Amino acid sequence: MAVQAVAGATPEPAARPEAVAARRSWFAGLRSAKTITGLAILGVFVVAGAFGPMVWRTDPSALSDDVLQPPSGAHWFGTTQTGQDIFAQVLVGTRVSLLVGVTAAVMATVLSLIVGLTAGYVGGLTDELLSALANVFLVIPALPLVVVLAGYLPTRGSLTVAVVISLTGWSWGARILRAQTLSIRRRDFIEAARATGERPARILLFEILPNEMAIVASSFLFTIVFAILTQAGLAFLGLSDVTTWSWGGILYWAQNNQALQSGAWWWFVPPGLCIALIGTALAFVNFGIDEYVNPRLRVRGFHPRKSRRVRRTAPKQVVQDAGAAGDVLLEVTGLRVDYGDGPNAVHAVDGVDLVLRRGEVLGVAGESGSGKSTLAYAITRLLRPPGQVVAGEIRYWPTSAGPVDVLKMSDAELRAFRWAQLAIVFQSAMNSLNPVLRLREQLGDALIDHGPGMTPGQRQKRIAEVMTMVGLPTDRADAYPHELSGGMRQRALIAMALVLEPDILVLDEPTTALDVVVQRQILTKIMNLREQLGFAVVFITHDLSLLIEVADRIAVMYAGRIIETSTAKQLYEAPRHPYSDGLLHSFPLLHGPRRVLTGIPGAPPDLRLRSAGCAFQPRCTQAMAACTTTIPLLSATNLPTEAPDHQVACLLYQDGEGR
Amino acid sequence: MRYLARRFAFYVVTAWAALTLNFLIPRLMPGDPVQALLSRFRGRLDPRATEALTAMFGLNDESMWSQYRTYLVDLTKGDFGLSFTFFPTPVSTVILDSLLWTIVLVGVSTVVSFAVGTLLGIVAGWRRGTRWDHLLPITTFFSSIPYFWFGLIVLFVLSGELRLFPLAGGYSSWLSVDFSWPFLSSAFKHAVLPGLTIVVASVAGWLIPMRNMMVTTMSDDYVVLAEAKGLSPRRVMLNYAARNAILPSVATFTMSLGFVVGGAVLTEIVFSYPGIGNTLYQAVINEDFPLMQGIFLIITFVVLLANFLADLVYVWLDPRTRVEA
Ligand code: SF4
Repeated sequence: MAVQAVAGATPEPAARPEAVAARRSWFAGLRSAKTITGLAILGVFVVAGAFGPMVWRTDPSALSDDVLQPPSGAHWFGTTQTGQDIFAQVLVGTRVSLLVGVTAAVMATVLSLIVGLTAGYVGGLTDELLSALANVFLVIPALPLVVVLAGYLPTRGSLTVAVVISLTGWSWGARILRAQTLSIRRRDFIEAARATGERPARILLFEILPNEMAIVASSFLFTIVFAILTQAGLAFLGLSDVTTWSWGGILYWAQNNQALQSGAWWWFVPPGLCIALIGTALAFVNFGIDEYVNPRLRVRGFHPRKSRRVRRTAPKQVVQDAGAAGDVLLEVTGLRVDYGDGPNAVHAVDGVDLVLRRGEVLGVAGESGSGKSTLAYAITRLLRPPGQVVAGEIRYWPTSAGPVDVLKMSDAELRAFRWAQLAIVFQSAMNSLNPVLRLREQLGDALIDHGPGMTPGQRQKRIAEVMTMVGLPTDRADAYPHELSGGMRQRALIAMALVLEPDILVLDEPTTALDVVVQRQILTKIMNLREQLGFAVVFITHDLSLLIEVADRIAVMYAGRIIETSTAKQLYEAPRHPYSDGLLHSFPLLHGPRRVLTGIPGAPPDLRLRSAGCAFQPRCTQAMAACTTTIPLLSATNLPTEAPDHQVACLLYQDGEGR
Repeated sequence: MRYLARRFAFYVVTAWAALTLNFLIPRLMPGDPVQALLSRFRGRLDPRATEALTAMFGLNDESMWSQYRTYLVDLTKGDFGLSFTFFPTPVSTVILDSLLWTIVLVGVSTVVSFAVGTLLGIVAGWRRGTRWDHLLPITTFFSSIPYFWFGLIVLFVLSGELRLFPLAGGYSSWLSVDFSWPFLSSAFKHAVLPGLTIVVASVAGWLIPMRNMMVTTMSDDYVVLAEAKGLSPRRVMLNYAARNAILPSVATFTMSLGFVVGGAVLTEIVFSYPGIGNTLYQAVINEDFPLMQGIFLIITFVVLLANFLADLVYVWLDPRTRVEA
């Protein structure tokens, strides 16, 4: 159940290998150095508070003649002005402060759970009122309120103080729990439970609450710190019972007896340090919880300025292959991308070779998890840890000079190469646009950073040009992304990609979020622009039948490998690989006769389980014995009439194995 | 501007809630604290004060409702009752004398702390996995220190031992309060340590969320796309990642401010700063309830105002809030 909460909290689709790799290491967050340190410190305090006073039997209030003694063997933390043992006081103080903190946090958490769950689950007017209540308490500054409350209290014992603190400390938790409940309530399994008439209390306790444990824990720990600090403040003000030894109480006496001024730092320093340490410890544990709730925080060792490069000693200029034709624009050879390191690494792209020629449309088809998007990220060098290119070359042929390996470019070279030579359009137009910048600015900044001395006037002209090119009214330049329709946003992204007239345009599922009509318009637009401007396109999609229409050549990916590649026409007429065959039958053609949707039974492969044979074997209807033991390699088929550029990775078409 | 109108309405409701809370607390406390209070004060207080107190806490047999009405009417006139400690000075006068000190000290420290914390958070998020990560545990530790404890140590070391800064107060007592250079420089010198205490103790409250938001935002598509555009790292970091990551920081300003205000109250006490926190302390030790309640209300109002300013900044930063519905 807990893992479900994580999946729900992340926007990433679960099928992505990076999500898989990240999920596997969720408890690594809890094992991180910080969390362990936090738990260790916490443990020491809990033990000291629970058992300390029993072991160190000195009465903290007992007076003695050892007045204001510095720390020694007899008095570890020294003594007070009246000869009391400070170590004994701190031990009892640990118990009192922790108890106040935990009691207040328990009460505050119960309150925030009641309010948060009710508001989030019931909704409507109840929600409005409870949310308003929580917000009001959140805005009213807590300490002055506590001071006023405590001022009127007839008794100011620890329990009373804890109650008062919890009354002011519940609102933050209530607010986030309400938000979380609201989002969980909309999920399928809750809807299902509600539909079957399960009792709300049951749903809340057994379905929703378990999904919120991480957040509850985090706000609980946070409230402990808040309570301990507030209690210390109250005691320091003399507003709680200072005859009970709490950390704040010790500080109260130290201050009132001018401990620091008389040089008795040992009286003043330990209680404050204890508060700071326990606060730090709890915050450290919370870091672990944060990383658990938000997987993006988990990935370490990344900052974009130092993106990883394949380390190789070869010179930057790759020796031109004898066979490479003059019209090759981009050549990918032996590309391998792993998520994670070592034996657990997931091979998301596993030895891919591709050639993109000038002006052509190369289609890459595959289901989600096939590695096709990872391929796009690798080609553009946008992979982020745990993803990394572990082998291969990506050669770019500029018109004038010899080829350059994109993977070996320096940061500055890479920046210059990006967008000017290779631009990309992502899946989701809404997420790809910066929500707080006007379109004009997002179109223009690439011109500024790449532009060799363009005047502002020229830039505006260029912006208007590309906008017209993709069919966006130029008066939309001053709009913010949220003011545009989905289709317009996608057009804006394409305009953005064309602003520097790149040679290569990578389209990563560019139209999936749009309805079919708009999808159609935009594709036509891209293809027209391609004819006009002559850029080459790498079109990545799950929709093979769409590629058949628009692409010149197609590569079909499965489990990180290309399993069939050929011209669009040949692939359409005679798909060889059982998987391509299945794909072609799983989507209707945009135009042309509707086919029966058969789909491909079975789930996409789990990349973590590396098979010794063909990755498609579990779903393949034509699998043979050899398929479980031999990995088929991409090669020309053994069919005599086949075109030589039609390559398939299937044992059915390889000599000695065929039927 | 529907967004701002809604926020404003919310603050009005909150202000009303605070007023009502303030009215109810002494009346709903267990064990009739007001009666106990009166008997405690009998003989110690001026009879006029006792009378004022009686009226204020509604011991003159009026109905709750008419007490509440009188209370609200008095408040609209700025009448918070009379202070015991400074009798017969009205609470409002006592508060006004100290309010400006606090607003300047806490205001400036909060702005500095927000700016420093946010900037460090941006860099720490951007440079994740480098030495900048060490900022986290260090600032976490500082944020867990009680303000007053840290303040006392700073005061002891820097003012007491090293004599670098004055020991107490808001300005040198022989100066008159005006806008002359000697006064302003003296006021500045007196404000450095309390300000430093507030900044050091509160900076992590901005830094850590900002860093985490930076890290989260950096995997957002628009930041990846900005990188794919080959923009300068500075532009990607500031215009794309930080520009969006800062929004939650501004949106949760409320909660962070609450903590700063609480800490600042204690800081003022430590430094005997002539601000409202110190006045609150005077009220507490003298059991000056009208003054305590007045201060609670004033602090709440100022915090509400600060929140509304934060909302204005938010609207300015996020175009999506400007949608006219
Ligand atoms: S190699 Fe075997 S299992 Fe794989 S696709 Fe071909 S026939 Fe099917």
